[in-house]
Amino acid sequence: MNFSLPLPEIRHDKAGFEALVCLHGQAKDCFFDDIDVDMSAISWFDADMCAAFGAILYRLSKNLNTVKLTNVEKNVVSILSKNGFMSSYGREKIPDRWGTTIPYQRFDVKDDRYFAGYIENKFMQRSEIPVMSPGLQKKFREGIFEIFSNAVLHSQTEMGIFSCGQFFPKRDRLDFSVADLGIGIRRNVKENAGLDFAPEDAIIWATEGCNTTKRGQIPGGLGLKLLCQFIDLNEGCIQIVSDAGYWKREKRKTFTARLSQPFPGTVVSVEINTADKQSYALTYELSETDIF
Amino acid sequence: MSKNLELSIFEVVGSPLCVASSDGQKVYDRVMAALSKKRSVALSFGNITALTSAFLNAAIGQLYGVFSEDQIRALLTVEDMQQDDIALLKRVVETARQYFKDPQKFDQALRETMEDDNDDSQD
Repeated sequence: MNFSLPLPEIRHDKAGFEALVCLHGQAKDCFFDDIDVDMSAISWFDADMCAAFGAILYRLSKNLNTVKLTNVEKNVVSILSKNGFMSSYGREKIPDRWGTTIPYQRFDVKDDRYFAGYIENKFMQRSEIPVMSPGLQKKFREGIFEIFSNAVLHSQTEMGIFSCGQFFPKRDRLDFSVADLGIGIRRNVKENAGLDFAPEDAIIWATEGCNTTKRGQIPGGLGLKLLCQFIDLNEGCIQIVSDAGYWKREKRKTFTARLSQPFPGTVVSVEINTADKQSYALTYELSETDIF
Repeated sequence: MSKNLELSIFEVVGSPLCVASSDGQKVYDRVMAALSKKRSVALSFGNITALTSAFLNAAIGQLYGVFSEDQIRALLTVEDMQQDDIALLKRVVETARQYFKDPQKFDQALRETMEDDNDDSQD
């Protein structure tokens, strides 16, 4: 069968995620079908959302469907070709003249070191990136690595981890998203902590206190909390979508909502304030002899 | 006299980016072997430019499931760490202490260790 599924504008917000989970909901049971994603209504696509979009399309194509993007407007083709996203859908990658993209890429869970190299080479070491204070730069990198590690350690994904980013120089903002096609936070909390939460409440649980779903010899439970603390200080924003849960933290306030359909995994999406001039230096002295 | 072990994290990981749990495991394996023989270990973080909690949990946090706090304090030292990395390591250590105080998790960790040992002995 041939399905034509329309997609509205995709922005880095709740409505953008809602549109993507609706697309997935309409096509998730397709098998050996032709799926055309009709993008005629889109004049803008926030590039970091390619991570979540790419994850969904990958999952659909894994079901042996032929997935095509149709009626894509010229400027959207341009956005999605500069970051390499359209390369999976028959278009050539075009040069990123302004150097504002962190390319779309899919990783396997064993690729943590390769991911670190991708962030270093494709982004941190480029001359076009915003001048961030050394403290912010270190915190930003470590925050991104924490997101990826979180997906590696908790998602149990067999279909990979997807990432993409975009820098907006005029707004002093850098958006970066990591999506996985794993079991999601709600199921993880249920299976490992024995707590049966609503999807959005499971995200709240995972981001608070000493809570962790980690079991076994290696402790855990810090990654998301560290990231949230950094975002608070940076005055940025973090959104997490997992199952049908939507969670957002901005200006030290948390907002949650229920999406109409589940996302088939988890997305963590951050917006960094690149004009942040904080040194991130500690205000007190810590000693190496007073750790253990 | 027993020899102390000086371990360069950079040398073990082969990179200034200490982000992967699997790389932390490599550090843990060496520290664990030394502490088991009651040798002291000095871990150098010289030239490390990025650290994650995932790496430190694997490299150091899991030691608290095997050794007592007193043993670790007596035998393990760190050096060449940046101030914010010390802060991160302190949080990892605090979290690990809490984690292994939970008997259910600790029992499971112990079971897994024993299963691993059994697997090794069958090789």
